Amino acid sequence: MSDRLINILIDSFPKIIVPGLIYTIPMTAIAFAISLIIAIATALIQIADIKVLKNIARFYIWIIRGTPLLVQLFVVFYGLGQIGIKLSPVVAGVLTFSINEGAYSAETMRAAFESVPKGQMEAGECVGMSYWQIVRRIVLPQAMRTAFPPLSNSLISMMKDTSLLANITVAEMFMSAQRIVARTYEPLWIYIEVGAIYLIFSTFLTMFQRYGEKKLNTYQYK
Amino acid sequence: MSEENLLISVSGLRKRFNDVEVLKDVNLSITKGDVIAILGSSGSGKTTLLRCMNFLEKADAGQLFFDGSTYDLSDMDRKSIVSIRKKTGFVFQNYNLFRNKSALQNVTEGLITGRKMNKEKAVQIARQQLDKVGMLDRQDHYPSQLSGGQQQRVAIARAMATDPEIIYFDEPTSALDPELIGEVLSVMRDLASSGMTMAVVTHEMNFARNVSTRSVFMDGGVIVEDKPTRDFFEAPDSERTKKFINFIEESRK
Repeated sequence: MSDRLINILIDSFPKIIVPGLIYTIPMTAIAFAISLIIAIATALIQIADIKVLKNIARFYIWIIRGTPLLVQLFVVFYGLGQIGIKLSPVVAGVLTFSINEGAYSAETMRAAFESVPKGQMEAGECVGMSYWQIVRRIVLPQAMRTAFPPLSNSLISMMKDTSLLANITVAEMFMSAQRIVARTYEPLWIYIEVGAIYLIFSTFLTMFQRYGEKKLNTYQYK
Repeated sequence: MSEENLLISVSGLRKRFNDVEVLKDVNLSITKGDVIAILGSSGSGKTTLLRCMNFLEKADAGQLFFDGSTYDLSDMDRKSIVSIRKKTGFVFQNYNLFRNKSALQNVTEGLITGRKMNKEKAVQIARQQLDKVGMLDRQDHYPSQLSGGQQQRVAIARAMATDPEIIYFDEPTSALDPELIGEVLSVMRDLASSGMTMAVVTHEMNFARNVSTRSVFMDGGVIVEDKPTRDFFEAPDSERTKKFINFIEESRK
């Protein structure tokens, strides 16, 4: 590896990781938080079994899971712009990622809710708790334990998928890398470098997952 | 039976699951201080009866008298259900302790959330109840760290903590290993002698014979025999009851 290349890689490192800290991490965090709220609501709607709402929920999941994320990003950013709904690239990105991930996590949460035995709900009713008290204090904590590993998967996936935001003009890590490549003509090493930075981020997320699982395991229920 | 001591009665209770009529016109009255053993073979409807009385199943028809008021079991509003449940306790066959809560939290949960009791008071009551069932030293254990018998004792403490008018027991020892049944029955015996009103669906003939004040035999969705326990075992009216008692006693020998 030549000195020139090493200098390019060292120079480009902060130019890639800073957009990561400004865009990739915060956008992932916000979008994931919103997607969780959407997912829990969508799952509860399906479990509550109110026909109209349930059909809306199924329709939402059907559309979102059946179309590519990249297409969704283009529809929200470029498409909505055409009919006068002009969103900033960051807002369009967060919105699309929330809605997209919400549909997938809704299924994770539904499965997790359904894994909590019916007797837990009945026991709560018999000690005089309200429906929402039981959901919040008994069912949701147990469901989250089940949902945590698959949700961690989704979080890591979403973090990597933010690279698609380069296509809607968000100046995130991948776009920075593309610009550096255009200037230096070192596609191999620069793209490996940006890949390595994504790997660093996902490693932190994996560590967070381990920590979280350990914390949740203090319940130690089978 | 004097009228003013009547705590609960159901009349004309009917329930079907799809094509199967599980309860056909069931009538049962419970007086304060009664310990009623509800006996019968599997599928006789005894568990469904208990579950309908606490609204875990919705009855198709029937009237409920509870604590001075009369309700239509097929058309209960949420508010009445909640208010009646606050005066009853329920112990399940498979314990149903909250899996994400410690033994102590299992007992305090209904007091703090359902009854808005302050935490210190709830903990104080919970500790008293756990002490009564001999589980105080395990108050910080989670259900998965307890044996079946221990879990059921915590579940009984949870039911007692809400100071109910009656506790329903749905086959409380059926899921237990034989060597763990004794500890749960002994807690129930103490509870009965403290004057608690209890309705117990059970297969434990010894409990029925020695602890209950009244025994009820169900068969095919109806109550066939309903008598003070001594008469029930010594002079049952119905042939089916006689057969059932003989069969059970034989099989236990």
